[in-house]
Amino acid sequence: MSSSTIKSGGVRKRPTGVGAPSGWYMAPALGIFALFALVPLVVALWLSFTTWDAISSPVFVGGANWATVLADRGTWHALGLTLEVVALSWLVQTPISLLLGVFVAGTQKYRALLAAIYFLPLILSSAAIGLAFKAILDPNFGLGASVGVSWLKQNWLGSPSLILPVVVFIIAWQFVPLHTLLYQGGVRQIPASLYEAAQIDGASRVQQFFSITLPQLRYTLITSSTLMITGSLTYFDVVFVLTGGVPSSAINILPIDMYVTGFSAAQFGTASVLAIILAVIGLAISLVLTKFSGFNRMSSQQEGA
Amino acid sequence: MTTVAIVGALSGCSAGGSSAGGSTATLWALTGDQTGVVEPAVTAWNKANPKEQINAQYFANDAYKTKIRTSVGAGSAPTIIYSWAGGTLDSYVKAGKVADLTSETASIKSKYNSSVFDLGVVDGKTYAVPMDPSYPVLLYFNKSVLAKAGVSAPTTWDELLAAIPKLKSAGVLPFALAGGSKWPELMWEEYLVDRVAGPDAIKAIAAGKKNAWSDPGIIKANTMLQQLVSAGAFGSDYNSVVADSNADAALLYTGKAAMLLQGAWAYSTFQTSAADFTKSSLGYSNFPSVSGGKGDPANIVGNVSGYFSVSANASAAQKKTAIAYLTQGTFNDAYTKRLLDGGQVPPIKGVSSQISGGSDSFVGKTASLIDSAPNFQMSWDQALPSAEATALLTNLDQLFTKSITPTQFSDAMNKTIGQ
Amino acid sequence: MSTLSDARTTPATRPEPAKSRRIKGHKTRNFIGAFGGYVWLAVIILPIYYIVITSLRPQDGFYSSNQLVPPSAPTLSQYALVLQSDFFLYLANSAIVTVVSVAVTVAVSLGAAYAVVRSQTRFTKLGFSIFLVGLAVPLQATIIPLFYMMSKVGLYDSLMALILPSIGFAIPLTVLVLSNFLRDLPNELFESMRVDGASNWRILISLVTPLSRPALITVIIYDALTVWNGFLFPLVLTQSPDKRTLPLSLWTFQGQFSVNVPATLAAVVLSTLPIFALYLVGRRQLVAGITAGFGK
Repeated sequence: MSSSTIKSGGVRKRPTGVGAPSGWYMAPALGIFALFALVPLVVALWLSFTTWDAISSPVFVGGANWATVLADRGTWHALGLTLEVVALSWLVQTPISLLLGVFVAGTQKYRALLAAIYFLPLILSSAAIGLAFKAILDPNFGLGASVGVSWLKQNWLGSPSLILPVVVFIIAWQFVPLHTLLYQGGVRQIPASLYEAAQIDGASRVQQFFSITLPQLRYTLITSSTLMITGSLTYFDVVFVLTGGVPSSAINILPIDMYVTGFSAAQFGTASVLAIILAVIGLAISLVLTKFSGFNRMSSQQEGA
Repeated sequence: MTTVAIVGALSGCSAGGSSAGGSTATLWALTGDQTGVVEPAVTAWNKANPKEQINAQYFANDAYKTKIRTSVGAGSAPTIIYSWAGGTLDSYVKAGKVADLTSETASIKSKYNSSVFDLGVVDGKTYAVPMDPSYPVLLYFNKSVLAKAGVSAPTTWDELLAAIPKLKSAGVLPFALAGGSKWPELMWEEYLVDRVAGPDAIKAIAAGKKNAWSDPGIIKANTMLQQLVSAGAFGSDYNSVVADSNADAALLYTGKAAMLLQGAWAYSTFQTSAADFTKSSLGYSNFPSVSGGKGDPANIVGNVSGYFSVSANASAAQKKTAIAYLTQGTFNDAYTKRLLDGGQVPPIKGVSSQISGGSDSFVGKTASLIDSAPNFQMSWDQALPSAEATALLTNLDQLFTKSITPTQFSDAMNKTIGQ
Repeated sequence: MSTLSDARTTPATRPEPAKSRRIKGHKTRNFIGAFGGYVWLAVIILPIYYIVITSLRPQDGFYSSNQLVPPSAPTLSQYALVLQSDFFLYLANSAIVTVVSVAVTVAVSLGAAYAVVRSQTRFTKLGFSIFLVGLAVPLQATIIPLFYMMSKVGLYDSLMALILPSIGFAIPLTVLVLSNFLRDLPNELFESMRVDGASNWRILISLVTPLSRPALITVIIYDALTVWNGFLFPLVLTQSPDKRTLPLSLWTFQGQFSVNVPATLAAVVLSTLPIFALYLVGRRQLVAGITAGFGK
């Protein structure tokens, strides 16, 4: 990460020694975070070189787990699926969130009520959402079966070809609200004068959207995408609940694969290899995106400049 | 800082899992056993032994397997640990997590059928004692659904195949299958492999023989299994059905499905959820025979029994309570009678003489199935080490969805032997 | 709509109020937007409607009824069943874990954010970079080592085992949001207090904390939501029923209630109610805060 400069409103005098709070103010947060988020990664790395069944103590086996995991077709399948879920989620959620965000940012009275409803899924837990959709989609006792619409009575959660779109949809249902919020905030930051100028030029709504709204939202887009992509790497809860904890190979995404390898098959060493892979992908993606997003710039963003 | 004080207070109230006071023993069992087997026994025990209390908790089958492993590993196991013996018990013994009960259980050994008791013995020492009835896997059918479709209950594989199109045209699902839980698929695999390849095929696998999964009988059985799926025996939605919520049993008693292959424990589900159906239209039989197969058509598969071990981490007082319960609180006369009344067969000697209603009742029929079976194969996912069992369920799922061929299945499973 | 920026004292470019756009709003109706908006509304509402309706059904005849039609005889019996199944115990566990986690997270993060913004040492810059990287650490990747660590130190199956990592994972985003906010506080305020000879501790307590109220409310709601709804930590790090949190209890209710779908969904509704109340109170803050906090 590049070192960065502070600009805040005006020119800041370098704080004198008396004034600047010491680094100790940061120590507790840094300590807890390091101990429970960073140290575990180191422990995972160590465990990945051991064989451990959670009953006996870990035994060092060198790179055997790594060899096993990297040679296993299942790993690559899980990796491919994970990236598929990431890509599909992004493709589905971004346009919906963007358009909804623009729509909700308007000022008609009823939109406030709409917004309140739109954001409801934000507060439901993944476990609740998973259970509810499981009940709805049950082909024998769910909604489709009782309404008698045969198209609805599909093997939503069992068929290898259907489960992926279903999971992507449910995840979108859960997370579109958050990203709608981000875009709504972004739209509200766009100076109205830009639109007025465009109207004088006779630009249509659609033209205005593409020539003003979209370019103005570029930072929001990057922020939202970062959150979406790093988040979608780890859609564990929903998938776990939906598939009853015994996931089929059709939705065996990396975190699920890791959980099953560890907690069902008791091969915690092998599972730790998968954990490290997951962490590396997450960090890599976010570093790349940070490069673009300027998330690390310590200055306050000035939009529309 | 006040928050620091709160944190301090909190870590004070984090008690470990099994640190119950004094001589009270904790016990974990399955929700499936809760109603008929464990709960009444524990209640009776606690009433009779106020000084040696048992505190029981129940878990759903699929969740339990993970829970018990993590807690045994974390050293916070319950005093009394439920297991299916097999590969899991081996790993507990290897890690020194369960107590040697050889001398304490010597007096009750003769009570049990020896094949059942011996499953709890590892390297000549007893580490687990039976506590469950025997649960063979049976083919249940809904008589009124079969009658409507003009089909009789299948006794051979050919009859079973012939029934499928008739049932489908009658608008019912031929076989309910909880594919979402995976292990019900294994019951089909176990029976077909037994009928086609004979019991020696799985014995070779359990013994860790190289390439044991490539037995031609296993490949043939899996080919038949895929034909069955292709014929629409399970419909197209079976993977959305979950056994933990008894949705497969519900399909049978609501008349949406004609037949169901499930363990004998399903009988109590039928009794509690659909009493009328159980009385009037529930039928059951052994798995159909396969002509030309190596296995005896009288063979059965399923859970021979469930087992209780005693945690090596428990205090001396807790161990004493646990051992007293295992030797005096299980399979005493009242315990046995309760099981029989609930339609379950205890794995103890001379049980047939105690069955009222003879061989017509569910329990009588099950008992005679067990008695006349040349081989009673323990469920594979419990007989095999957990890594192999997990791989088995994963690959079986792919076999059912036809993502892999029977040969690929065998190749994948051969890799797990001796892992 | 009050946005967070109203509460701020931003000196520089404040977007003009959208008045001028409202005037044109009447001229050209955004039909496409409205249509799409209503479609998504239906997508959101249908499942929620189904959950609420179904939770009011009796178990008898559930499978044979048309589940989209409201029950002819709504019953609260499923709710009674859930409430009798130790629901309040799980609620208390969730509440303890959430309150403690959020309180500690916000307290230590505010200190960290203060240091990030007001002192420009190599250490604080490095720290801030570490938090940024930390945003991308997937929680799932740490669950196995956390399980190992918690077992080793004897915290396995305690609420502490849930609280500690919950704090750890909430810190990076909280620091980021608070730093973004503190950065916009005018320098003069700090200078004047400093001239009065106030210590940094005094400044943090009596200047920064009250001024940061909007941002604090935002992170409190967001962190509370995340911790309250957490599933994987309780799933792996606890096991006793008396340590169960609400999301995990939903998972176990499902096994317990078997095919009693109405009861399961009643549990879903009940587990959401507390956070729903918080949402009703703090929705605007949350909305404004998230949009502001994520670096505009």
